Amino acid sequence: MQFILEAAGLSKTYGQKTALVSLDLQLNKGEIFSLLGPNGAGKSTTINLFLGFIKPTSGQAFVNGIDVSAQPVASKQFLAYIPENVMLYQNLTGRENLSLLSSLAGFNYAKDQLDELLITSGLQPDAIERNVGGYSKGMRQKVGIAAAVARDAKVLLLDEPTSGLDPKASNEFSELLKGLSAKGTTIFMATHDIFRSTEISNRIGIMRNGQLIDLLDHTVFNASEIESLYLDYMRA
Amino acid sequence: MVFAIIIFILLFTSIISGYKSYSILQAERNLAQHHAEEDFHSQPDRHPHRVAHYGSYAFRPKSALSFLDAGLDPYTGTMVYLEAHQQNSANFSQAQQSNTLIRIGEMTMAFVMQWLMPLLIIFLCFNAFTQERENGTLKLLMSQGISIQQIAKGKIMGFSLLITIVIFPAFLIAILTSLVINNEPWNFDTALRLFTMLLSYAAYFFIFITGSVLISSLCKQSKTALIALLGCWIFFCVVIPKLTVSLGDALFQTPSKAAMDAAIHRQAKNGINGHDDQDKRTKEFTEKLLKKYGVDSASQLPVNLGGLVMAEGEAFSSKLYQKHFDELVNTYEKQNNISKWSGFLNPYQSIRAISMSMAGSDFRHYVTFLNAAESYRFKLAQHLNHLQAYKLANKAKDTRLDKSEYNHYPEFSYNPPTFWQVLFPSLISIFALYIWALGIYILCITILKNISIL
Repeated sequence: MQFILEAAGLSKTYGQKTALVSLDLQLNKGEIFSLLGPNGAGKSTTINLFLGFIKPTSGQAFVNGIDVSAQPVASKQFLAYIPENVMLYQNLTGRENLSLLSSLAGFNYAKDQLDELLITSGLQPDAIERNVGGYSKGMRQKVGIAAAVARDAKVLLLDEPTSGLDPKASNEFSELLKGLSAKGTTIFMATHDIFRSTEISNRIGIMRNGQLIDLLDHTVFNASEIESLYLDYMRA
Repeated sequence: MVFAIIIFILLFTSIISGYKSYSILQAERNLAQHHAEEDFHSQPDRHPHRVAHYGSYAFRPKSALSFLDAGLDPYTGTMVYLEAHQQNSANFSQAQQSNTLIRIGEMTMAFVMQWLMPLLIIFLCFNAFTQERENGTLKLLMSQGISIQQIAKGKIMGFSLLITIVIFPAFLIAILTSLVINNEPWNFDTALRLFTMLLSYAAYFFIFITGSVLISSLCKQSKTALIALLGCWIFFCVVIPKLTVSLGDALFQTPSKAAMDAAIHRQAKNGINGHDDQDKRTKEFTEKLLKKYGVDSASQLPVNLGGLVMAEGEAFSSKLYQKHFDELVNTYEKQNNISKWSGFLNPYQSIRAISMSMAGSDFRHYVTFLNAAESYRFKLAQHLNHLQAYKLANKAKDTRLDKSEYNHYPEFSYNPPTFWQVLFPSLISIFALYIWALGIYILCITILKNISIL
């Protein structure tokens, strides 16, 4: 069976420092997976390895069966990346940013289509023609989601997406992710937010010191059990 | 944007001021040449050798494109005094006649294109990657499924387009101005020169654009990239050119004018002195003539002995001057060759050489003029010597010749080298420039393949 996202013995060291130790992980289509862990646990390193921004010391990362190290550009056609702070071109409007990003990915949309993508992603219509310099973090994330949808990404890699969002914005964002997942998009999320991750994820991985120490299935454990287990691991 | 507008204004004003300066200087030289010819041709009946000593002048016409690149013109002489027995050097350079400001260089299009445009490019491109890195947009771009090389190619193309927008109107004005200057239907030679200049400047700017994008991709911060690029500009546009000139001077030393004159004077004593009947070689030459004409004494010769002795002396001294002049030019060529070959180390030196050569203001054009002036002087002197030899009675030292014998002598005219004659010696510089452009592009793409974007 081919997984949409797969890590096979994926490791990364920076000199003497080990950032990720032999990660084995498989994600299915439409799955929402959260990687929980403190700062420096290796969550962002994992995302960067899937994006091909860094090369693994050993092991392989696959996106839809494509080896990321061997074909970094080809593997990205299935991926969309939403960092903690989506940084857009501040002097361009939301629509212009979306147009630029989707055209770079090879998708050219008409003005109306771009507007629809932005509105579907939750951006207020009156913000579409404003420069993103005045956007809040949540609004920029919505443009990022719109860019992912625009290029028909199969996998969404999110790095701390809900940090700094107010509860309403965070809730809206969760709903958006659920909607995408329902349409078959796989969500891989690195986060500190136990509450949101347990709310929307199918599976949760717990990381510490570069190692995936547990994989929890949300159908087996409820939110409070997962929180309790996570805190136990962190104390250990 | 502001800097781009300033550059455009500077380009525009440099073309206009260059054209103005060209028009004034060319008009002055045309007038001076006309007066010199008029003076020569309006001499009264005279002994031909007096006419030869009265002499004439050759004024160097400005090249049609020298308003774009003054090159060496401000520092080389503009006029040669043409007289018997003497090969005079060119005098009255602009630098000699102007205030000291001209010594720091005229504001020409070449100055703007060679010095200021690279600065504009640096200020435009230094944060091409660093800003993306600092703002976090680089990761976003990369995650769209495009490679960093594609981003670099896009940026290089974008900046090239922007520079073209700044440069193109100025070049258009330059072309139109050159048409006005030529004052004739489109001159193909000038068109080829302009086209070569355009292609060479395009390669020169491409080198700076690609180099700036490369340095920007290697630096983590914009200020580091800017400092590194300004350092490169100083190194390539100021330090290396000065170093190579000093190296050329040290390796191939030229004699001082006094030393060269003394050497010529010393060696000239080995030839016939037309003004000394008792000179040993003059006596030998006379003996040969007597034998040739089958007479016993000089007074029986059917030709004017003085004229033939003068012609013989002129031929010798001219060869001697030419030999020393060729040696001097050869030394200058060796010095210039260091600069030319250093184009492989420094694109500034290649573009400088190509630009001057296409504008007709380089050393080669200057030497061509001096050779043309010397050739004219020699032919004029020999023409007058032969008039003396065959039109005047023997020993007729004070006899005057009718002015009609010499006042129709053709005026001095100078044909500058053609484009093809200029292109061949410029090939090394053109080749070096394109090697640089190709090399830096390949280097940029190769380095970017393995660069960390985090």
